[in-house]
Amino acid sequence: MTLSPTLKTPNEGHPHMPKKDLRAMASDATPADIDPVTLEIVRGALRAIQSEMEMLIERTAMSAFIREKKDYASGLYDPAGRMIAGKALPFTSDLVTPVFKYYPPETMQPGDVYWYNDCYDSHGAVTHTPDQVLVAPVFFEGRLIGFSQTWAHFTDIGGMRPGSLSPDCTDLFQEGTIVPPVRLVAAGRMQDELMRLFVRNSRQPANVRGDMRALMAAVTLGSTRLTELARRFGGDELAGAFDALLERTATVLRERLAALVKPGTYAFTEWVDSDGHGNGPIALRYTLTATEDGRFILDHSKTDDQTKGPINLILNPKSAGMLVGAYLLGDSHDLSLNAGAERLFDEVILREGSILQPRLPAPLGQRGVTMLRNLSGYLGLLNAASKGGASASHSPYAIWTFRGTDAGGERFLMSDGVACGYGARPFADGHDAVYLVAQENYPAEFVDNFYPMRILSYAMNPDSGGPGRWRGGCGVIREIEVLAEEATLLVRLDAIEHPPWGAGGGQCAGTGRCIINPGTEREVHVPPLSDGTLVRRGDILRLETGGGGGWGHPFDREPERVLADVKGGFVSARSAEADYGVVLTAGGRAVDTAATEARRATRPATQTFHTGHYRDSIQ
Amino acid sequence: MTGPIIGVDTGGTFTDIVLFDPRSGRLHLAKTPSTPHDASEGFGNGISEVLEVAALGGPDIDRVLHATTVATNLILEQKGPPTALIVNRGFRFLLEIGRHSIPRRANLFAWCKPQRPIAPDQIFEIGGRIDPDGSEVEALDEAALRAAAEAIAEVGIGTVAVVFLHSYANPAHERRAREIIAEVTPAALTSISAEVLPVMREYERGLATALNAYVKPVVSRYVGRLEERVDDRKIAAPLLLMKSNGGVAGTDTVRAKPVETALSGPAAGIVGANIVAAAAGIGDIITVDIGGTSADIALIRGGALGLTTRSVIGNWPIPLPMVDLTTIGAGGGSIAKVDKGGVLTVGPDSAGANPGPVCYRRGGTEPTVTDAHLVLGHLPEALLDGDYRLDRALAEDAIRTRIAEPLGLSVDAAARGILEIIDNTMVGAIRVVSVERGHDPADFTLLPFGGAGPLHGGPLARLAGCRRVLVPPAPGVLSAFGLLASDLRAEFSRSCLQRDDAFDFEDVAGVFAALSAQAEAWLESEGVPAQSRRMTRQVSLRYEGQGSELTVPWPGDVDAAALAEVVAAFHTAHEALYSFRLDEVRIEAMTLRVDAVGKLPPLTLPEIPSHTDVASARVGDQPVSFAEGVVSAPIYDRARLGAGSVLEGPAIITQLDSTTLLLPGQRATVHPTGSLLIEEE
Repeated sequence: MTLSPTLKTPNEGHPHMPKKDLRAMASDATPADIDPVTLEIVRGALRAIQSEMEMLIERTAMSAFIREKKDYASGLYDPAGRMIAGKALPFTSDLVTPVFKYYPPETMQPGDVYWYNDCYDSHGAVTHTPDQVLVAPVFFEGRLIGFSQTWAHFTDIGGMRPGSLSPDCTDLFQEGTIVPPVRLVAAGRMQDELMRLFVRNSRQPANVRGDMRALMAAVTLGSTRLTELARRFGGDELAGAFDALLERTATVLRERLAALVKPGTYAFTEWVDSDGHGNGPIALRYTLTATEDGRFILDHSKTDDQTKGPINLILNPKSAGMLVGAYLLGDSHDLSLNAGAERLFDEVILREGSILQPRLPAPLGQRGVTMLRNLSGYLGLLNAASKGGASASHSPYAIWTFRGTDAGGERFLMSDGVACGYGARPFADGHDAVYLVAQENYPAEFVDNFYPMRILSYAMNPDSGGPGRWRGGCGVIREIEVLAEEATLLVRLDAIEHPPWGAGGGQCAGTGRCIINPGTEREVHVPPLSDGTLVRRGDILRLETGGGGGWGHPFDREPERVLADVKGGFVSARSAEADYGVVLTAGGRAVDTAATEARRATRPATQTFHTGHYRDSIQ
Repeated sequence: MTGPIIGVDTGGTFTDIVLFDPRSGRLHLAKTPSTPHDASEGFGNGISEVLEVAALGGPDIDRVLHATTVATNLILEQKGPPTALIVNRGFRFLLEIGRHSIPRRANLFAWCKPQRPIAPDQIFEIGGRIDPDGSEVEALDEAALRAAAEAIAEVGIGTVAVVFLHSYANPAHERRAREIIAEVTPAALTSISAEVLPVMREYERGLATALNAYVKPVVSRYVGRLEERVDDRKIAAPLLLMKSNGGVAGTDTVRAKPVETALSGPAAGIVGANIVAAAAGIGDIITVDIGGTSADIALIRGGALGLTTRSVIGNWPIPLPMVDLTTIGAGGGSIAKVDKGGVLTVGPDSAGANPGPVCYRRGGTEPTVTDAHLVLGHLPEALLDGDYRLDRALAEDAIRTRIAEPLGLSVDAAARGILEIIDNTMVGAIRVVSVERGHDPADFTLLPFGGAGPLHGGPLARLAGCRRVLVPPAPGVLSAFGLLASDLRAEFSRSCLQRDDAFDFEDVAGVFAALSAQAEAWLESEGVPAQSRRMTRQVSLRYEGQGSELTVPWPGDVDAAALAEVVAAFHTAHEALYSFRLDEVRIEAMTLRVDAVGKLPPLTLPEIPSHTDVASARVGDQPVSFAEGVVSAPIYDRARLGAGSVLEGPAIITQLDSTTLLLPGQRATVHPTGSLLIEEE
């Protein structure tokens, strides 16, 4: 199957779009008509609206997943459903058009709010069922001028296990209530029957109601603000500004891709360790072709088949451009990441039945692993094309979840997202201890207060960052003492058998693991992707997460930086000497300059990638 | 208590000094260059100067008040001394890991982690643990603490932060740690988290405590030098410093919690704005303080300063109660640029005071907001009484070559574009403090100040939908002025988790009593007489399950009736702010707070002479370029305008420290207190 995200006209390529050109309906102004001042003002205003929507969600949502972990986002779209403003790292950007299949835009009314979480029906606009998407059409002077959109991860929407998601799932229908696009609010009237049905299927009804109120308030706010913007600039001018913003992003990103990827075909393979059901490793195989006439073709079709376990990812073909676009965008403050990035690749090829394009009812709940490995795969392709000129690989963020009953007899569910290390870059170290953009941890004092457990330590995982001129980020170590009589443990770790690779001469990262009662006779190693492990009062659980790969020759790292890393507990003295060629004085408080020079005199040769050893390609 | 008082506001370039003598009702201003190598020098010079101007001696002075940026700059520029941190075993990376996130708008691939104020090798782990209910799970390892204190002393670190988990519930371990550190290394300054900010969430509390320790040695020394400068001038009156909460405190308080002065300067400005507005009979204002590199925007409702616990200084969230303001990188020095793709951006990069805008002729080549004003004729070419000339041709040339030509615009259109973009950025911040907090800007008067504020007041009011603009008498020195009107203020808070259906009145009453006792002790230490003491109680609440609280006053006694009132107020506030309420959901109380105020004698603004002879104040005319075309506008000298004068826009009103632009269609009336009230015709 070939899915083309090419947007020669904005509506082409999506099966649900009506044939008539919505853009013509929205705008009579062409991008060229929009002056740069208006454009910058509109861009700033969109950013402000988005922030305001997100603040509202964060301050009013009920579940810890949203308010502490901050697993939510907002976006603003044009009348054709193209994202004009969205997340800084949008795994998916095509969140509005799935609604069109059931509710063509011309049938929409002011005050409508649409809702869905259906991964297959939305073609990967959402990638696992707990993410609830709300979409509100925005009108000005009787005309559709765009859409306001919010989504958030709801803690429990039914399904096989508390929290809805489990590595044990083998079928989408075990992962919670599926909501195809429905109209939750019709012309300002809330359809409470839908909510009643949905809430009844949740183990945490109060959270579901509260979180939905927060999302609804925010999507309505976005709608109000977008209307105000149209009142200020006029509907045509706003539409023209949207077009110009899309055009600008598309043009600049294509130029940047062309600068990094010269004509030719480049191949790369990334791996997912396991599906948690005995299958794996699973290969994500890519080729990127840059033609002489300036076309870019991204082919995922040699990727392995979908799996029994829930690590399948419905990769919306538009997402490839957004993810690579986010990388190419970097910190260009004058440019926004929007649907213009969807045009980065002229063709995106996916194979139905593969892990990146599964068939119903393949389970999707743990697709985060595959999402992060896929992102790493794209970085690998850019490195293959530029001979190590891009960032190194990262570990996928980890999750461990505890379910049980507290002393008061109430059921609890604590799903704890745990940071990992990100890849070093040609200009800087990788991030230590980061989960993902704008997702926060549970403070130890929060966990101690509200769950029957105690956080014993929360530390950097030393030597987990890949050595390099720029060091890969370190993962973390989190230790928890169980205070509940009994709980079951879900763990999700990956990139253990295939550690995050180093690039440009940098070396691969350290990996993670989960151990119960480490260093005692009762020590047990928990399988990296598993559910149902029973833990008891007094058990001490330790989760270690992996780091990011290094970039550049480790011998080129300044000895002072290596010393600071050793003193800071990021790198061991042993690794300093063995990997970086930096010898420290006896107390480890200073660099032994003479010994370091001698050690660095013989310099190992490097190649583009490192996966335990240097190699020219990973295929 | 009715003698002359002095306010000294140290800014980046100038130190502003205001002396008010209540006996004569006279106000004396002075301005002296700031002395960044030792700000106390400029402070001292300024006091000498203003005493001379007022023909007064040190012994005549009743009170000296000061706003400082010493702590702010240490934090922003990361220039504090080596600092140590003591934490629980297993939490050495408390600051390094933080909330394990990168900012929502940051790019994952480009973002770089900011350097923490304390490096991991200066962080020491100590055994011992307190549970959330305050009970001891594991005794404090005193031997390990002693060893750590010795190690800290050995490397010569003189300032230490102590942050133990759940110390808000029981500070015993932190207090004991401080004792041991004092035994081992008596000279070390110790900050404990239970005293800096006893609320839940270890990273935020830990960061506030770490920053407190980080700025403590420098601020302490600075305060000592200020005291010397005051003594040198034979002033026996108390020295009070402005804190981030909009109140002042004595030097001992500031020495103990210097991080509370992180927003000292901006807070003074807001207090000044409030007093000027009150004098004009206006209680609801939005203040816009525009300087060279940044603008601070705040909202005051009913004459009461709003406090927030969500402030961010530089890269760091600091949940201490501070004036609720939004700071953005937009000011007179903000640089305009056109990138390769033909995009015009303005700020956040700034030419600052040095080299400054192109028109200052100090080597600046990139056009700024000030250059755009000059080119359009908003500014007279001579500033500060003619001492300071602006080079219009140079500004025009920079805008032509760098903005207008690449974009294919006229110079005027390019300059207007620069201002439209910067105004839009500022309106965004105005919306943050107003619309986003549930307030309609139409109900508020815009109060612009800072040197560049009154140039933007008119356009900002129109864009934001404010119906009126109030330009204070001396917009450039409003912060110094605000000092004169400040009261002593401090907040005492503690985490106290409660649910409305299982409310422990006794517990809450106990915590409030303890906080009130702390507040009384503080007021006592500041020498506030009983009749000048004010205390109010606050409680922060949320719907069960939410992560963010709203603060409402606690009325009267701690009983069921008061709780009902509090709950009702919370529902109302939630609906006003977030558009919905959840009556069926339980409500949680999170933090109790006692706000203590020591009232100082109120400031009465002097009135200016009344006359309406506008023509006598007209000092010239100048062509001003508006979108509709070029118009010749009169220039007025503000000092010569009498109360009751009415001016029609377009007009330019100049004064020593600022320039006001009156747009076509706007009318300005001179208020008896000297403020200009601008309204649409």
